[in-house]
Parts: sequence; structure tokens; C-alpha cells
Amino acid sequence: MFPSLGRDVAFPVVGSVLLFSVFVGAGLIYQNWLGGAAERLVTVMLIDAVIVLGIQIYVGNTGVLSFGHIGFGAIAGYTFAVFAISPEEKAKRIPDAPFGLAEVDVSSTTAVLIAVLLTVAVALIIGVGLARSGAQSGAVSATVITLALLFVTHEVARNWPELTGGERAGLFFPIGGKLDTRVPIYVALFGALVVARVYAQSRSGRLAVAAREDNLAARAMGVNPLVQQMAALLISVAVVSVGASLRVYEDGSLLPDNFFFNYTLLTLVMLIVGGRNSVTGALLGVAVMTAGRELARRLGQDGFEIFGIGLDGEPLDWVFRENLQTVFLGVSMLGFMILRPSGLLGDWEFDEWLRSRFRRSRVGRKAQAAETETKPDPLPELESVEPSVLEAQGIDVSFGGFKALSNVGLVARSGEVIGIIGPNGAGKTTMVNVITGLVEPSSGKFSLNGEDVTSTPTHRLARLGVVRTFQNLRLFAALTVRENVEVSALIAADHRQGRTLIDVDSVIAEASLWEYRDRRARELDYGNSRRLELARAAALTPSFLLLDEPTSGMSDLESTEMIEQVRHMAATIGAGVLVIDHDLNFITGISDRIYVFDHGEVIAHGSAEEVQADPLVRVAYLGTEGTT
Amino acid sequence: MIELLQNLIDGLGRGSIYALLALGVAVVFGVMHLLNFAHGELITISGYAAYAAGQQGWSWYIIAPLIVVCAVVASLVIERVAFSRVRGESDFTLLLTSFGVHFVVSAAFLLYVSASVKTYPRPGWVTNTYSVGPLNIEVFDTVVIVVTIVTLIATTMLLQRTMFGLALRAASADFDTARLMGVKSDSVIRGAFALSGLLAGIAGVFWLMRAGSTTPSAGIDPMLKGVLAALIGGLGSLRGAVLGGFALGLAEVLLRSRLPDSIASLTEGVIFVLIALLFIFRPQGLITVAHAERV
Repeated sequence: MFPSLGRDVAFPVVGSVLLFSVFVGAGLIYQNWLGGAAERLVTVMLIDAVIVLGIQIYVGNTGVLSFGHIGFGAIAGYTFAVFAISPEEKAKRIPDAPFGLAEVDVSSTTAVLIAVLLTVAVALIIGVGLARSGAQSGAVSATVITLALLFVTHEVARNWPELTGGERAGLFFPIGGKLDTRVPIYVALFGALVVARVYAQSRSGRLAVAAREDNLAARAMGVNPLVQQMAALLISVAVVSVGASLRVYEDGSLLPDNFFFNYTLLTLVMLIVGGRNSVTGALLGVAVMTAGRELARRLGQDGFEIFGIGLDGEPLDWVFRENLQTVFLGVSMLGFMILRPSGLLGDWEFDEWLRSRFRRSRVGRKAQAAETETKPDPLPELESVEPSVLEAQGIDVSFGGFKALSNVGLVARSGEVIGIIGPNGAGKTTMVNVITGLVEPSSGKFSLNGEDVTSTPTHRLARLGVVRTFQNLRLFAALTVRENVEVSALIAADHRQGRTLIDVDSVIAEASLWEYRDRRARELDYGNSRRLELARAAALTPSFLLLDEPTSGMSDLESTEMIEQVRHMAATIGAGVLVIDHDLNFITGISDRIYVFDHGEVIAHGSAEEVQADPLVRVAYLGTEGTT
Repeated sequence: MIELLQNLIDGLGRGSIYALLALGVAVVFGVMHLLNFAHGELITISGYAAYAAGQQGWSWYIIAPLIVVCAVVASLVIERVAFSRVRGESDFTLLLTSFGVHFVVSAAFLLYVSASVKTYPRPGWVTNTYSVGPLNIEVFDTVVIVVTIVTLIATTMLLQRTMFGLALRAASADFDTARLMGVKSDSVIRGAFALSGLLAGIAGVFWLMRAGSTTPSAGIDPMLKGVLAALIGGLGSLRGAVLGGFALGLAEVLLRSRLPDSIASLTEGVIFVLIALLFIFRPQGLITVAHAERV
């Protein structure tokens, strides 16, 4: 099932070849049309593309906004320059360079390699910081750390003249030492494209995207977002470092301001205009913004007399001035954020489109007659699994002065369906949060198969087999139905050994989602979303499945169907089930045993009949004391 | 000991301005979850207004209130033009929107005014000092500290004693619930931006007074100070923001006077590293705001 060479490598590579050809081709056509003046513009565009693709790998896949990638670029750029500039030249500019760097003499290729390694090492440290700060999609403190990096590199570059040549003099390559061929740039660009696409399709990329879409849900499915974010960061920084080295080489000079605010703005705008979540989008953004800036520059320079179009521009003359480019950038960023935050392409990816076309035409030819042929097998019957026991003792939880749970005990075994019932605010969801590691109890113990798992992180509990769904739906909205389930399957393949893996297609069919398998989760209606949550949790082959109000908002018919699906899936994977609800009839209908919660305590526990007969329950829950 | 006391006073003066900036950032963050990278632009805009007024030959004592008014108006206009359109969008969008505003404003000044430094008149007492025992105290710092204390007391009263204050605090704690309770989101958000602008304006008067000039990129520095101080204090906490402002001011003064000469020029860099470390070990800032994620 994973990895699929065709889907995860071949299509991205073929797609990259085509995209690369179109992008470079467009640049060359413009260059031929306008001649030498446009040559540098195109070169710069190609290098910008490498850097923007590098940024996309991190920002796109993790959703963490980084202002720091140009700071990484500065580190790489200076490292490259200090190593690549010849000793004679260094003797003139930075004779007092520390660590004997003034005498070092290596080839440009080696210098790029050193720049990449050093910058990735720095990224490793920054990455630990980002992880510690709780980086996740849109996280503010992570973004500020990246901003701090940008400013620190700039400050150091300005104030360490022995190494960097300082703020005004800077570093220079001798004339003629510049790039005399574009081949390295082409190689870097193609490499960046392939790396970006293959990473996005890789296990790490998919898990990172799941965490981008919903950090909490990803952790509840056993994903450790911090590991995937780190992987994305290191790969991303490596690509940016190559791009930054090329940029320095092409410019032939390096000043602190070359890798600072303005370039950060430019690259970020390029990224978001095309669509930050898409590699194709990043490339499109680079093209669009390069064209736009060129236009703005020409407008600023020549007014309205461009491309042979002459207009009487007097009244608007004040608009078009030099430096129009910067305003153009700022306005583009603002405009896109306000009108189209997901960029021109959103999640659209060229090679995925190619693949879907390819598949449709092939399937169309082969299987039009037998439509049902593709329908997957039903879930297999249960193989025997080791029985599991989940036990909580004396759990206390308080939020501030409010006691959400006091002295709660609970036992669940595989094969059982346990109902947890109680009025709103009784502590049911808090209990599930404790069991899944989202809330740490102030006291009490919680064990799985006799092993103490109190204060185990959520993702680790999920890998141990304690998996939940959410009351307020937390799907990976931008992923398709199948991709949502695949996230769990990826984790199960690595961490649920000893269990028979569930076939992704079978689970989807079992949850009545087969016809929607290629829809994005955000397009699903409410009932299907709930079924997808169940399917996603089941694909992890959990030992315990915790369902937080699985039928809320469903019609009676849908609820009944859902109960059947829950029972069948649980039986197939041999899981114990804990169902939370406040509907007494629903709970008594499906549960083997029931815990009744009220005001943070378990007030009754037993079979449906026992619980219903309990006088305390009648008072607390039904609100009546007498017989009915 | 004397030196430490001297640092303390200098740090308080510097920290006062940061505290006002940070409070403005925190107030807006509270109601909109927006970390406003454009906060410093209020000072850029006011700075150019001061320059324009100075060209007319107006005295500083007219320019100062003008700066405050300008900052409030600019804050409201920016909210109207940009931020009101991205309410409720993802944090990613909000962050980049404010970043975009920052660039549009500074680029517009670069393009339509000038890249060169613009000066304006300022009162003669800015650079005066007086002595208390062995301590040298700037008149400027004294004024800043006094005005800041008065402003903070007034702001506290506003937040504690008025309906607007109650609405704003409720919205900061839980925006959706506050709305259900009848708090008008429009007026709270606009009020927050006005208050944020007012605080930036008061800070701006001192900032500009000390600087004596403005450039298109003059907003970066106050923006950074405000944002960082708010983060140091713990985003969402107004008290934390003020505390963060003073902490940042003190840290700057202490580092600048204590760091060995060889790296003294890197003070700013050192502070960034310290702040990054703070986030790493205390991601929620100095003051913890309960942010229970609801599941």
C-alpha cells in the first residue's frame, strides 16, 4: 500500500519536468523577445524560484509562517561567499577574518556544500526552539522566533565587519568571477521542484500536512507534528541555502540588506500569491510577481509609454513613480490576504491533476462496464487479538478553582462497549481528554494493560491504541477522504505492529464513503464528516476507540446506521469502545456497561437496567424521584 | 550600586515607551487574535504629520497632540481598510495582512514623500538632565515615566470602570461568548483599535521627540519593540504587556552598559537571542494566560 512508486515518485518527477520546462521556457521566450536587458531578470527569477520553493517546503507543509528563511539565506550566503572568494581577494577585503578563513581556498561547489551543511546545522537548533515554542499552523510565537532569527542575522552581518565586510563595504567577488552559465541554476531549480513535490508526497510530508490542517487531531491519530516539522524545516533550509548561494554568486556582491526585510517580503508575496500550499502555486507566484514587478518598474520608469501603448497619463502621473515595485509588492500581499488568502491555485497541484486525468482515462477504458468492480472487499473478520484493559483510578482534574472531575474510576476491556452518560458539564469530555492525554489529571492514575500511562503525550497514547473522535469534528479539511484515512494507516503501519492492518479502501467503503473517496474533507456534509472521523480512527486499529458524541446532529436513521458501523468496525478490529452521549436511550441501546457522570463524579455504574433503576441517577439525570 | 540605580532609571524611561506600545499591541490581539506588525506604522504616519506641521512653523506643543490624534485616526483607518476585512480568518492570514499593511505604508512614504530623513522641531528640554545626588536623570525620562504612569492608570480605569472596558475584557477572554452576551463586536474592535492608536500616539510623541526625525522605515523599530514586549509578557495579557515593556527596556539598558565592548554593538542581537530563549523555555511568556483548547 505504501509507498506507491507511481503515485509518490513518478508523477511528481514527471510533473516537475513539465513544470520546469514551461517555467524556464517562458523565461527564455521573454528573454529572446527583449534581448540582453531581460537576461538578468530571468536569471534572478530562476534563483528566486529556488528560494521560494525552499520556503514552500516548510511554510506550505507545516502552515507555520516563517520570516526567518531569508535569515537562513543570509547565513548560507555569507558562508558561501567567505569560502568561495579567493584568498587574494579576501586579503583585500577581510584580511582579519576569524578562524583563519581568510586563507581558505575551496571550489565554489565545495563552498555551496559547506554553506548548506552549516545552515542546516543552525536550522536544527532553531527547529528545536520552534518545537519548544509549540509551533503549529499559524502559531504566533513560532513566527516571532523566525523574525528574531532574521534580525539577529542582519545585526550580526552589520556588526561583524571582520567576517562580512560590514554594512557598507560588504563582500565582493572579483569581476568575472560571476556565474558565466545558467546550468547550476537550472540544476538547482529542477532539484528544488523534485524535492518539494516528493517531500509533499512522502510519509513525513503527509503527516506534516495533517498536522497543519488540525494539530490536535493529528496528535490524536498518533502523529508527532514536531518531528515532521523538523524534517520539513531541514529540507526546506537546505534548498534555501543552495538558492541563497546562487543568489550571492550571481549578484557578485553581498551586503547585509540583500537578505533582509525587502527580500523576505518579496519571497513571501511570491509564495502566497500563487498559493502557499502548492508547489505549482509557488512557481506560478514567482512568475506572476516577476512579471508584475517588471511591469511596475517599467511603469515607474517610462510612464505610460510601454509596449507601444501610449496613453495620456498626466492625471495619474503621481501614481507611477520609481520604486513602484515596493508598493506593488505590499499591495499584492494585502490584496491577496484580504480577497484570496489561499492564493491563485489554493491546493491545486499540477502532477496530481495529471495523475487524476491519467487514472480516469485508464479506468474509463477498462472498467466502464463493471462499475462495481472497483468497490473494495468488505472488512475482514476478526483475527484474535490480545485482550486489552484500560483502567483509570481516582482521577482528579481542576481548572482553576473548578473541579471538573473528582475521584473518577473507570475500567474498559476490549470487546466491550462502555457508555458514558451525563448532562452537559458533567465531565464526560474532560474524562476523554484525560484518557487521550490532552488534559493532565492533578491526581490519579491511568493504565493500559497494567502499564502506567498517566501523562503520556497524546500521540504516543494513540500509537498504544487509545484513539478518539471529536465532538466538534476535526478532520484534515484540505485532504481528501482517502488521504484522511491514509494518515492513520501510515501511523498504524509503523506503530501498530502485531495488528492486522486495515485496508484503507475497505474502511472507507465500510463507512459508506466510497463514492466520496476523492472529495476533500471540507466538502463533506455533516453526516459524512462524522463517518469519516470514525473511519479515520478505525484505520489506526485501536485497542480502544473513544467516541465523543458520535451521533450528535444526526437524524434517527443516520444514528442507527452509525451505531451499526461502530459495532461492526469495533468487532472487526477487536477494539473496546467508549461512547459519550447525553441521550439515555441511545446509550442504553448500545452499551454493555454504563458510567453515569454528574458534577464531575461517577454517580452510578453498571448495566443499562441497573443504572436506570438507580435512584441517584433518576434524581440527578432524569430530574424525577418518583416512578414513571 | 549607583550604576545599577542609574540603569534602573534609564531602563524605566525606555521601558515606559515600550510598555505603551506593547499595551496597544496586546489590546488588539485580545479582541482579534491579530499580532499587529503594522503597529509601528502609526508612529511613521504621525512622524510625517509632525514633519508637515513643523514645515508650517507650528510649535512642538501643537504638534504633540496632533501626533496623538493622527495615530488614533490612522489606527481606525487601517482597521477599516484592512483588518476589518480579515476578521475571523486564520492566524496565518492575519499575520501576513498586518505585515502587508506595514509594507504598504512604508513603501507609500518612500514613493510619495521621500527616502530621506525628515526632521521636525522638538522642545529644548529633551536633552537636559538634572542631578539627584550622584544620579544623572534626564528631564525627558522623568516626563516619560510620569506620563506613562498617568496613562496606565487612566487605561486601567477605562478597562475596569466603564462598559467599554468590560466589553473589551470580556471579548478578550472569549470573543464568541461575549458576542452572545450582547457585546457588539464592531464597536469593541473599533474601540480596541482606537485605544491602541491612542497608546501608540502617546508613545509616539516620546519616540519621535527622542528621535527628532523620521524616515519611511521608522516604524520597524517601535513595531518590533511593541510586539516583542507584548510577547515577552504573554500575549493576551494586558498586565503582561506592560510588564514586558518594562522588562525589555531594562534588559536593553543593562545589556548595553554591561556587555563587553567587543560585542556591545550586538546588543539588539543579544536581546533577540534572549527573547528566543525565553519563548523556548516559557512559550507562554512571563504571564500565563489560560488558553484551554476546546475539544
